[in-house]
Amino acid sequence: MLKKFFIFFFCLFFIAHIYSQTILIKNGTIYDGENNDPFVGNILIEDEFISRVSSASIQGDLVIDATGMIITPGLIATDTDIGIVEIGALSVTRDDSSELYKIGFSIFDAFNPNSTLIPWNRSNGITSAITLPQNTSSPIGGLGSFFVLDGNLEISGKKDMVMIGKVGGDYNASRSETFALIDDLLIFAKSINQKDLNSNKDITEIIGESSIAESMDLHPRDVKALYEMVNGNIPIIIKANRASDILKLIKIKNNYGLNLVIMGAQEAHLVSEAISENQIPLIINPINNIPNSFDELASNIEMAKRLEEAGVEFTFNVTRSHNFHLIRQGAGVAVANGMSYSGAMKSITSNPAKFFDIKKRGILKAGNYADIIIWDADPLEPSSMPELIFVNGENIDLTNRSTRLRDRYTKEPGKPATYRN
Amino acid sequence: MTKLKNTISFFLFLNLSLINIIESKPFESTYKPLPSVNVIIKNANIYDGEGNEFVETDLLIQDRKIVAIGKDLPVSQDFEIIDATGKWVTPGIIDIHSHMGVYAAPRVSTSSDGNESTSPVTADVWAEHSMWVQDPQYALALRGGVTAFHVLPGSANLIGGRGVTVKNLQRNTINSMKFPNAPHSLKMACGENPKRVYGNRKQAPSTRMGNAAGYRKSWIKAESYLRRQTEYEEKSDEAKELEYAPERDLEMDTLAGVLKGEILVHNHCYRADEMATMIDIAKEFNYKITAFHHGVEAYKIADLMADNGICGALWADWWGFKHEAYDMVQANIAIVDQARNGTGCAIVHSDDAIGIQHLNQEASKALSAGIRAGFDISKARAMKWITSNPAKAAGIYDQTGSLLIGKNADVVIWSKNPFSVYALAEKVFIDGGLAFDKKSNYFPSSDFDVGIINPNKNRIEE
Repeated sequence: MLKKFFIFFFCLFFIAHIYSQTILIKNGTIYDGENNDPFVGNILIEDEFISRVSSASIQGDLVIDATGMIITPGLIATDTDIGIVEIGALSVTRDDSSELYKIGFSIFDAFNPNSTLIPWNRSNGITSAITLPQNTSSPIGGLGSFFVLDGNLEISGKKDMVMIGKVGGDYNASRSETFALIDDLLIFAKSINQKDLNSNKDITEIIGESSIAESMDLHPRDVKALYEMVNGNIPIIIKANRASDILKLIKIKNNYGLNLVIMGAQEAHLVSEAISENQIPLIINPINNIPNSFDELASNIEMAKRLEEAGVEFTFNVTRSHNFHLIRQGAGVAVANGMSYSGAMKSITSNPAKFFDIKKRGILKAGNYADIIIWDADPLEPSSMPELIFVNGENIDLTNRSTRLRDRYTKEPGKPATYRN
Repeated sequence: MTKLKNTISFFLFLNLSLINIIESKPFESTYKPLPSVNVIIKNANIYDGEGNEFVETDLLIQDRKIVAIGKDLPVSQDFEIIDATGKWVTPGIIDIHSHMGVYAAPRVSTSSDGNESTSPVTADVWAEHSMWVQDPQYALALRGGVTAFHVLPGSANLIGGRGVTVKNLQRNTINSMKFPNAPHSLKMACGENPKRVYGNRKQAPSTRMGNAAGYRKSWIKAESYLRRQTEYEEKSDEAKELEYAPERDLEMDTLAGVLKGEILVHNHCYRADEMATMIDIAKEFNYKITAFHHGVEAYKIADLMADNGICGALWADWWGFKHEAYDMVQANIAIVDQARNGTGCAIVHSDDAIGIQHLNQEASKALSAGIRAGFDISKARAMKWITSNPAKAAGIYDQTGSLLIGKNADVVIWSKNPFSVYALAEKVFIDGGLAFDKKSNYFPSSDFDVGIINPNKNRIEE
C-alpha cells in the first residue's frame, strides 16, 4: 500500500520541484542524531535543506505520512573506497593508490559518481561518504575526500579533507622506525612557514634543506598536505591496533597538536581511559572479534560497549566498502553485546559529521541539508531497508543494479533473460 | 599336537592382528562427546530445522539425543529443567564453508595452510592435515551457535583436496574433532582463482577453457584408475595372488572416491555459465556435485541447480571483490530456495571467521531480500538454510541438522528470535553436552588464548 502511495508521491514530486514546494514528513519516529531518545514529530524540507523539525504540527505542500516509521539522518560512511574502486581484484577499475606521491596523494579527481557502489550503498541508507586511498609507502600520507552520494556528475563534497596513516606490525622494519619517521616528518612539517608555500619553487628549496624530505623524495604537493595536517586544518586518521601503539599515537597527537582519529583500534578497550581523556575519536569495526594479527590479540565483541562506558566516542566501519551499509548490522551487533541503542545510532549518524567537521549533515535539524532516511523497520536490523531517501532534499530512487538484476530473473519468465527489462 | 595347535592359533592370531592393522583406516574419528545431561527445555519457541515453528513448546534431551518435542511434556526428576519462556530454540548451526583451522588466527604465514597452490590438481591433500586445533576462532563460532562445520582447502586449485567436517568442540588432535561417519568432501574451484594463480606462472590453466580441460583430464585418469582397481578387486583370490595389486595413488584415491559416490563434491563457482559447464562435466564422468559454493550468479540458473539436485551455498550479500562476483542479488539465496516449486536447496555459508558467528543474521538478510522479491518464505523455512540444508550437503543429516526425534542433541537456545540482530546464543549443546553457557561465562579457550596478553587471564577475558 505504501508503495502505491510512493508512486503517487513521485508524480507529485516532479510538480513540487518545478514550483519549489515544501515537503512535510509527518508523524515519524525521529532519531535526530543529537537527542538520545526518539520523538514523534514532523520534518519540513525546503529546497535542499531541512527548514523545521518539530513535534508540533507543521504545514507543508506535499505530505508524506510516516506514522510508525523510523526516521534518521542519512548515514555517513567514513572508511570507504566508494567511487574509486569498482571491482577489488581488477586493477584497471582501481584508482586508490599512488607510487609517485607519498603524502599529498589525493583521490578526489578519480571519483566516479556513476559507480554502482553508490546507488547500492545509498539504497541501503548511506547518503554521503569519506573515500580514502590505500596507505602509501609513507606511514602518514594519502588524502581522503568527502562526497555527497547524490549521483550527480557534478561532484559535491569536500576535497582532501582528511589525511591517513598507519602504524604497527604490518611493516617489515621495526614499528620504532615508523614512529621515528612520523616524528621526523612532523618536525619538518612544523618548520614550514605558510609564506614558503606560495610557489612550488620555494617548496622545492625547503625540501632541499630537509634530509627527511629529501630522502623521502617528497614533492611540493606532499609538503603542502603535511602543512595542512600538522597545523590541524585537516584531521588525520591513523590505523593502529595494539594498545601500546595507541598510547604512542596519543603522545604524538599531544606533542604536535594533531587532530587525530584512530582507526581499527582493536585493542582500544585496554587503553580506553587514555583515549577518553584525550578525546580521541575512533573508527572501529564492532563485529570484528578475531585476533587477526599479533597487534590485535585483545579483539573482543564487547569492545563498543566497553569504550562507550569509558566515554570514548566512535563511529563504525566494516571490512568491505561494497557493502559499507553493513555498519547498520555492526551497530546492531554492538547493541546486542551491550552498547546503548542511542549511542549506536549516533555512531552512524552524527558522530562522523562531528569527527570530520562535515557541516550541516548527520543531524536532523533546521538549517541542515535534508539527508533523510525513512526506514521500513529498525535500521539496526540488517533485514530492514529504507523506504524513502532524501539527499540534499531530493528524493532519490531506490533502484540499483542489484534490484534490476533481481527483477530480470524473477519477472517476465516467458521472455529470454536478455530481452527482459 | 596340542603344542602345534597352539602354534597355529598363535600364528592365526598374529595374522589376524596384522590384517587388523592393515585394514584399520588411518585418520578415523576418535571423537568423544562432552559429559551429557538430560535436559528438558520448557516453553520455548522452536524452529526445528525442518521448516516447522512451534510456539511455547518443550524439548526433551536424553542420552545425547532429541527424544521429544511437544507441549507440556511430563518432567521427570532426573532431568535438568531450563525455563525458556520467551526464548527461541534451534538446531545447532552448521557452516558448510569454513577455513577455520587451515587459515587460523592470527593470519600469519606460518599457519596459512589452506591452499597447496603448487599444482592445479592436488586431490591428494586433506584439509584435516592442515587444521590447527588451537585456532582461537572455533570458540568464537561456538558463541554464535555453530555446532559443526565443514573445512575446505582454498580455491587456488582446480581440484584442491579433501575437506573435512568437524564437531565444534576443540580438542588436542584433529581426529578427536572429526564428525563421526561424516563423508569426506572434494574441493573444486572454477573461474578466476585457479586461472590467475597458474596463469601468472605461465602454466595451465591460464583461461577458463584451460580450467575445464584440467578437470576433465583428471577425471579421465580417475576413471581408468578406478577401472584397474575394480578389475583387480573382482578377481578371484587365486588370481590376486599371481599379480601385484595396482599401485595406490593418493590423488586418484580421492577422485575415485568421488566416482564411487563416497566423497561429496563441493565446487567453488561464481558465474552461472561456469556452473552449467561444471554440471556437464559431472554428467560426462558420472559424478554428482553436492553444492556450488559462493555462486553469486546462482539465481540465473536456479532451476538447473534444482533439476540436478545441487545445493547453492551462498552469501547473503558479498560482492564486488572480483569480476565474477559483480552481479550480486540479495535475493539469490531465496531464488535458489524457491526454484522448481520450492525444491531448491539453499544454504547460507560464511567462508569467514566473523560471518560464521552471525549466520543467523545472514539468513535474516537473505530472507528479507526474498520477501522483498515477492516470495512467500517463512522464518521456519529459512532456518533450514543454516541447519538441515548444510547438514545434508555435509552428509551428516542422518545425525544432526534438525530437531527430529532420535537425532543428536545439537541445540541452541537463543535470547530472542534468531532472525533478529539482537539475538544472542545463550546455551549451546553438542550431543547433549553443554558446550557454551553465556550466563555462567562457560566457554572453551584454546591454548593460544592462555595468558597471551595478561599472564593471569585468557585472551577473551582481558
